[in-house]
Amino acid sequence: MVGTPVLFIAIPLLAAFLIPLLGMIWKELVRIVPGLVLIYLLILAVNLLDHVMVHGPIIEIIAGWAPPIGINLVFSAFSGFLVTIMIFLGLLIWLYSYRFKKNVGYEPAKKYFLLLMMLITGSVGIVLTGDIFNMFVFIEITGISAYGLTAFYTGRDSAEASFKYLMLGSIASTFLLLAIMIIYSQLGTLNMADIANRIHTMNPTYKIISLIFFITALGIEAEIFPLNGWAPDAYSEAPGPVGAAFAGIVVKASVYAIIRYIFTIFDVDGAFNFLIIIGMLTLIIAEMAAIRQEKLKRMLAYSSIGQMGLVLVAFGFGTEEGVYAALFLMLNHAIIKSLLFFSGSYLVYNSKDKLIAEMNGLGKKLPITSFLFALGAFAIIGLPPFAGFWSKLSVLTAAADKNMIFIMSLILFVSLIELVYYLRVVNRLYNSKEKASSIEVKKPTANALITMLVLGGLILLIGFYPDVVTGVLHKASAALMDKSQYIHNVLSINQ
Amino acid sequence: MDNALFDLLDYAVYGTAILVMLIGIYGALAKKSLLKIVIGLSVSDSGLNMLIVAIGYLKGGTAPIFSPGYLDGTNKLMVDPVPQALVLTAIVIGFGVTAVALALVIRLYRHHGTLNIDEIKNLKW
Amino acid sequence: MKKILIILLLAGLGFYIATTYTGIGFGEPHFKHGVKDTYLKQTVQSLHVANTVTAIVVNFRGFDTLGEVTVLFLAVTALGSILYKKRHEVGVRSVLFSSSSIVTAGSKLLFPAIILLGAYVFIHGHLTPGGGFQGGVIIATGFLLMLLAYRNYSVSHIILSIVESIAGITFAGIGLLGLIYGETFLQNFLPVGVLNNVFSGGIIPIIYIAVGFKVAAELTGVIYTILHEKGESNG
Repeated sequence: MVGTPVLFIAIPLLAAFLIPLLGMIWKELVRIVPGLVLIYLLILAVNLLDHVMVHGPIIEIIAGWAPPIGINLVFSAFSGFLVTIMIFLGLLIWLYSYRFKKNVGYEPAKKYFLLLMMLITGSVGIVLTGDIFNMFVFIEITGISAYGLTAFYTGRDSAEASFKYLMLGSIASTFLLLAIMIIYSQLGTLNMADIANRIHTMNPTYKIISLIFFITALGIEAEIFPLNGWAPDAYSEAPGPVGAAFAGIVVKASVYAIIRYIFTIFDVDGAFNFLIIIGMLTLIIAEMAAIRQEKLKRMLAYSSIGQMGLVLVAFGFGTEEGVYAALFLMLNHAIIKSLLFFSGSYLVYNSKDKLIAEMNGLGKKLPITSFLFALGAFAIIGLPPFAGFWSKLSVLTAAADKNMIFIMSLILFVSLIELVYYLRVVNRLYNSKEKASSIEVKKPTANALITMLVLGGLILLIGFYPDVVTGVLHKASAALMDKSQYIHNVLSINQ
Repeated sequence: MDNALFDLLDYAVYGTAILVMLIGIYGALAKKSLLKIVIGLSVSDSGLNMLIVAIGYLKGGTAPIFSPGYLDGTNKLMVDPVPQALVLTAIVIGFGVTAVALALVIRLYRHHGTLNIDEIKNLKW
Repeated sequence: MKKILIILLLAGLGFYIATTYTGIGFGEPHFKHGVKDTYLKQTVQSLHVANTVTAIVVNFRGFDTLGEVTVLFLAVTALGSILYKKRHEVGVRSVLFSSSSIVTAGSKLLFPAIILLGAYVFIHGHLTPGGGFQGGVIIATGFLLMLLAYRNYSVSHIILSIVESIAGITFAGIGLLGLIYGETFLQNFLPVGVLNNVFSGGIIPIIYIAVGFKVAAELTGVIYTILHEKGESNG
């Protein structure tokens, strides 16, 4: 072992407080240090995940007080898997924006990298923590970093998008606190395992009310259907890499929170069917909206919302196959959507008004970027032999196991919609007869190119050899399903 | 008689807190001025904090501080300290969010020269 | 029309919350096996701290407080990022009218007293009501008073940022020292002393003093940044 899970939070916080001082010594350090921290965390995450696969979950207590009294962190196969994806993606986002932010002054660059690092730390904290109020604190850390990053460019609309996000975020935190206090007033504890252990003694009315408040609050962050008004604006106004961070990191953490509440903490039966319904609604409405978008980033945002809906549907099956499919989808979504956002950013730079209609013939001018965008588009639709195929296949088999033919056909129908709107963009890139304008194109920087190639390579790797991830995914889904083991592991820890 | 009055007062504590919260949310949703929206969010936070502290109250309890006087005294009941600690955290977080919101309002005012939300809407709601 | 809808929505929400909370009851013990009894017992027994709320905030749930301090730090960073302008564009503070000599002289008189009160509140956070956040806010009001009374009063951004960073590093660093000398992050590794002494409670007063400095610096920074924002539109 090279460390303990608390370092995932402590090291970035220490670095965040140090960065302003380091910046006074050498300005370049504010760009380098977050990357070093993320590299260290990635090594730690991979090592710990390896350890967890063999020896079972690591429960870390904080401040020397054993679980129901103190706060604890849980690094199980499930949470560890998500943490590893998040940090890996965070590292790629840092690499992508390293040179990209070169033409930005020292002060904004310092703030950008600080907020980006804390966005990742907050999301990692949401996944690791075993305490509901601590989760609220991490949600707020993520939230404030996200508001700051959304309004990073001083253009007109970014502040408005950020304000909208902030308003919904504050309403979410109000609901979250209300729900936490209902639970506390009934059970007198804030520890997840302790709550899960004693939730059956709670009055069912209060249980359902608090679950509704929780899902409303977390649904805002996780872009569930009627609560996702902030997402398209925030995605399209934020800097390109930040859009990838929202899609790949923040939303995953929020989905994790919903899943943790429904699978582990609450024992409400109807919640699974509720997940399927709300997920299907989100999926269908978001994909319908995506097809009507004229701006690429908004289209990607709606597509991302739709994918999260599909993830919720897969979780809603409530079986181990369903969880496996959902985790596979989350992994693929993290990789593929980031590639689409990264390459899409360069396509957007080189087109007028961010419009899809202005992208004619960019395939010739930006051959690699366009090729990678097309690769990502085919992968996310779920065409073989790319990574997305396997995850969509596992969702369909999980649905077939539960005899949900209607859901299966809806998923296939939605994939058709996806095919239409992604092909529309790819078609513009390559098969355009119109003569493209002869303005100078902005080529991607070396860092950005490396990042995109790594992601593209991963898509092909998972596509051809899905076995590289299936072992981890099976372990992770088993860890989520075994609720009594989770409770036992946490509550049996002594000081 | 006394009891009935106290019962009414009990409801009044929760009632006031919930009312303050709802007034705040109403302000945030219905007002047109960005500044009033931020004030509304802040007011609703205060209401929520009152509600949380009220949950921790125990009748006849004292503040959870073991000062020398308390240790000698006879009344040993203390109110629940946990909601108070949570509220401290919630207040600070609320302050942080309000500060960021005000900064965004300043930015919007800088660009548009107005605080009226109807004149600012460029993005679809 | 929109307003009526909102009122209906809020009435429903209010009814929902109100019935829940009146059902829970006010002033009654709601639960049997809560953690609060352990907190009340352990605060005196093993931490030797008088103020239970402080013990919870800094030790039992100290991880929350570390997160909370980070939220403030991020709020200041995000504020700076959102309101960023290139140096030559930074506006002069807009002052509608200058203060009379009574106000300026009075503020000068009050300022040291306010700072002293703030320092007292956060140094005695583990003994009396109060603590790092409260003391820090009191100190920041002292700076607010000076900024309002004197037109040209200025606070150095660099000093604020250094104080902020050092206080933050102290908090996180003490946490890591706990991991090294004890077994867990933020664990108390100092002798706990005698109940109701200033030097008691191990790491609790140290952390709260660091928090006090940090909150004071951050709140002053927020006030200063927002006050130096020019009123008219220039973008």
